[in-house]
Amino acid sequence: MYAIEAEDLSKTFRVRVKEKGMRGSIRAILRPQVEKITAVDRVSFTVEEGEMLAFIGPNGAGKSTTIKMLTGILCPDGGSVRVLGLDPVKRRKQLAYQIGTVFGQKEQLWTHLTPYDNFRFFGAIYDIPDRETEERIGELAERFALEAFINTPVRNLSLGQRIRCEIVASLIHKPGVLFLDEPTIGLDPVVKENIRGLIRQMNREYHTTILLTSHDVGDIEKLCRRIIIMNAGQIVLDDSMEHLKQHYLSGEDAESVNSPSMSLEDIIMEIYRAEGRTEKV
Amino acid sequence: MRKYVKKTSVHETQRYVCGGLRRRPGRKYRVIYQSVLLENLQYAANLAMGFFSYFVFIYIFIRLWNYMYQAPGELIAGYAKEQMIWYVMMTEMIWFGSDSGALTRQVITDIRGGNIAYMMNKPYHYTLYILTKYTGEWSIRLPMYALLATVIGTCMVGAIPGFRIAALPVMILCVVLGITINAVFKICISLFSFRIEDATPFLWLYDKLLLVVGTVFPIEIFPVALQPFFKLTPIYTVCYGPAKLVVDFSAGKCIEILSAQILYLAAGCGLMFWIYGKGVRKLYVNGG
Repeated sequence: MYAIEAEDLSKTFRVRVKEKGMRGSIRAILRPQVEKITAVDRVSFTVEEGEMLAFIGPNGAGKSTTIKMLTGILCPDGGSVRVLGLDPVKRRKQLAYQIGTVFGQKEQLWTHLTPYDNFRFFGAIYDIPDRETEERIGELAERFALEAFINTPVRNLSLGQRIRCEIVASLIHKPGVLFLDEPTIGLDPVVKENIRGLIRQMNREYHTTILLTSHDVGDIEKLCRRIIIMNAGQIVLDDSMEHLKQHYLSGEDAESVNSPSMSLEDIIMEIYRAEGRTEKV
Repeated sequence: MRKYVKKTSVHETQRYVCGGLRRRPGRKYRVIYQSVLLENLQYAANLAMGFFSYFVFIYIFIRLWNYMYQAPGELIAGYAKEQMIWYVMMTEMIWFGSDSGALTRQVITDIRGGNIAYMMNKPYHYTLYILTKYTGEWSIRLPMYALLATVIGTCMVGAIPGFRIAALPVMILCVVLGITINAVFKICISLFSFRIEDATPFLWLYDKLLLVVGTVFPIEIFPVALQPFFKLTPIYTVCYGPAKLVVDFSAGKCIEILSAQILYLAAGCGLMFWIYGKGVRKLYVNGG
């Protein structure tokens, strides 16, 4: 059973362009020019139920746009997508009950409330009965070790504590699919490792399908068994982590640097270079 | 009662979410309201700063109308001096008491900054979320300003001539409806940000129109030819209607204003849902 099915998914943005200088500004008012930018170009992939998938690519590759189409935020221009058997555009609200999202750079918690009040809030938002919310909070607080600060306002928490609370808030309603967008951004190595452990545990125990976007190679390497690399709106690689390493380290790829010390970061950089991008992962 | 199971398959999750739980939309908006209330109660003391502005504003108007009303018992546009001052105090109370960042900035900022994308994938309606959040904000502010207005008015102007205490619940209802209609129209204007670069200038124009025409002066002050036009605008239901009922209550006027408010609220909500529905389909959010 697939948790996510995307076929020929496409999205084009219309962006206003302006020539430089005052003349360009006036011309843009009188005769606005619009440029079409293909953010996602006929992308197809599937994700198995309970799978942990890394979805990576350089900035502007189309990862976030794809995730926004999967969560029903953006309407695709072409192709089809089903998440947990639902069309995200037509059944966005229904799908919202079944997916969870954590965006490392966006807060979904109310900062003036305590984590406990926030979890109660999310329980109500997802129509979970109070008693069940209480049970769920108790269980997740224990698993994610939140007891020490569950009654401290979120604004007074450290970044690592806040991210743990963000993940718990997104799990209150037992989502079938969890979208994690750079969940470890800005965290120190110890806290990162702690968060990774919790994500692994969550996937193992709750069988949650996880789609992870990160620029941190450590997240990808330690959490995911499969990797999708996007560039310029297209999937340039969809492979298992194991196969990817074997393929590059054994020198099957003529372009690759055949070095036994080649790390995953080097491999990804190699793929980006082959696709014409040299930015750091 | 359902027991928590460790391994939750997709089918189980769907059953858990879709079939097992009864949707109670009222509950989630009540919780949003309570959360805002909880959050804003921490800052109730900050409101004292606004009290000073309100007092200065009202003091200027008391002096102005004292100067304008030269003879005792004189009427201007059908209002006695006390009624005129109380009218301004009521409209200013609504203005100050319902002023909110959630309404003036949040929708526009959410749309322009792309934050709306992260709120759309929660199981609530974004516009109702904003409306509930706003209600939570004015629920604290407005009673405090009402108390202040009552104290200032009683001490500096005296009682409202012919005030009917029995009609107070209807007057409160009318004020609440007026504030809600104002919020709905402001959300509608803010939602234009889906189409245009920035809807702030339109919001500013709407605010100033409301301030000059319905808040500072009652509609009767303006030329007779303009009055029917003003009665067709939100001014009539947002500030003029509620304040008029407080200073000059009559059953006929009450029915007329309440009917207009219900019509405006229904039309406003319809418009708000329609603009939002159109807007989200055209949503343009890219970047991480």
